[in-house]
Amino acid sequence: MQLTYQLDLFPECTVTLLLFCDVKNAGELRKKAMEGSINGALINATMVVDPFQLLVAANKAVHLHKLGKMKTRTLCTEIIFNLSPNNSISEALKKFGISDNDTSILIVCVEEGEKRMNPEDLVSQVDGHQVSFDKLPEITDETKLRKTYKLTPREEKIGTLLESIICRMSTKDVL
Amino acid sequence: MAAVPETGSEEGEAVAGTSGLTVPKKQEHEREREREREQELERERERSRDFLQSLELVKQGAEARVYRGRFLGRAAVIKERFPKRYRHPVLDMRLSRRRTVQEARALMRCRRAGISAPVVFFVDYASNCLYLEDIEESLTVRDYIQSIHITESDPEKLSLLARKMGQVLAQLHDEDVIHGDLTTSNMLLKLPVEQLNLVLIDFGLSFISALPEDKGVDLYVLEKAFLSTHPNTETMYQELLKSYSSESKKSGPVLKKLDERSSVSEILQGLQG
Repeated sequence: MQLTYQLDLFPECTVTLLLFCDVKNAGELRKKAMEGSINGALINATMVVDPFQLLVAANKAVHLHKLGKMKTRTLCTEIIFNLSPNNSISEALKKFGISDNDTSILIVCVEEGEKRMNPEDLVSQVDGHQVSFDKLPEITDETKLRKTYKLTPREEKIGTLLESIICRMSTKDVL
Repeated sequence: MAAVPETGSEEGEAVAGTSGLTVPKKQEHEREREREREQELERERERSRDFLQSLELVKQGAEARVYRGRFLGRAAVIKERFPKRYRHPVLDMRLSRRRTVQEARALMRCRRAGISAPVVFFVDYASNCLYLEDIEESLTVRDYIQSIHITESDPEKLSLLARKMGQVLAQLHDEDVIHGDLTTSNMLLKLPVEQLNLVLIDFGLSFISALPEDKGVDLYVLEKAFLSTHPNTETMYQELLKSYSSESKKSGPVLKKLDERSSVSEILQGLQG
């Protein structure tokens, strides 16, 4: 049910995506993440429109991590930060990270090398249902996305929601 | 000029200066970190080179190399502004970096204004590589015009295309984006061509400017490129300008500048005669 990818530029890295809905223990998970006992980035699934969005965020995070130039302190927070269209870290974590009453959660795990974590370890910690990514369109909140990314109607005429989002994610440091 | 507090083991000996200060361990740490950064940078640059080598090289220019391949599951075009050995290294880095940044910025600005241009997937500032969407299933306006000339020579089709081009360029200039290298090879038509879905590409020489002069030059470059690549298309270009003029809110001064430049150019040509 989870999706696994290899980053083209970093073939030694594997990215695993897991989607959960009807989550009841978001608060607990958030605390665990802050303590560092969950080795994945916890993301508000309503702000995700396609796995590609997460791959782009993860790729940039790993790139900066390897250069020692991340803007945040950990790879996981960097992934969350990269989803945001602006450069405020706290705002990014608030909007794209999870809050205590979120019910749809997406977890992104980046692993290097041979060691592969057992997804069950993560799934067992989530009090909710793991679902396939086919369900993502039902979870995505397009209105909130348009507002957060400040998408213009002119832009939507020339491309998809995903394309507008990716563009903003990748060029936010030069605008 | 504070003395650095010693913690734990005495690595990096404290050298007593005349005032009793230690050689700042901090400085040594910083130099160490700098060296690490440089190593990391070089390692990542090599990684980029290795990755690009595995892709299909599409174009080798003086400024950049263009590759095609897959990136994170999508068809992508990667533009690499490689180091130029004939330039001073610091200058080279700054120039390549600046041009990469300008290109990314122009692309984003276009999209925000509803002008079709490739999506930016990733910007690698360490190697000055731009990872862009590959516009598949398309042909250049250049090839389209040539195919029409060869097959059917339908003036109506060219007229519609000209009008569309004028409209898109008007939008571009109204956003104060100067393309810098307008040619019919830098404009793509997504299939089916009848839809006239025009996409601008190669913003490598682009910059932001509100000056009518700069916009005039942009159009002038296109005129020269147009007429040299596609003979007997003077009417087509005039239609383009007409469309540009009616679509753009700021076209008056631009066309005036263009006119001035054309006159100067004609005078110069006459002198060369």
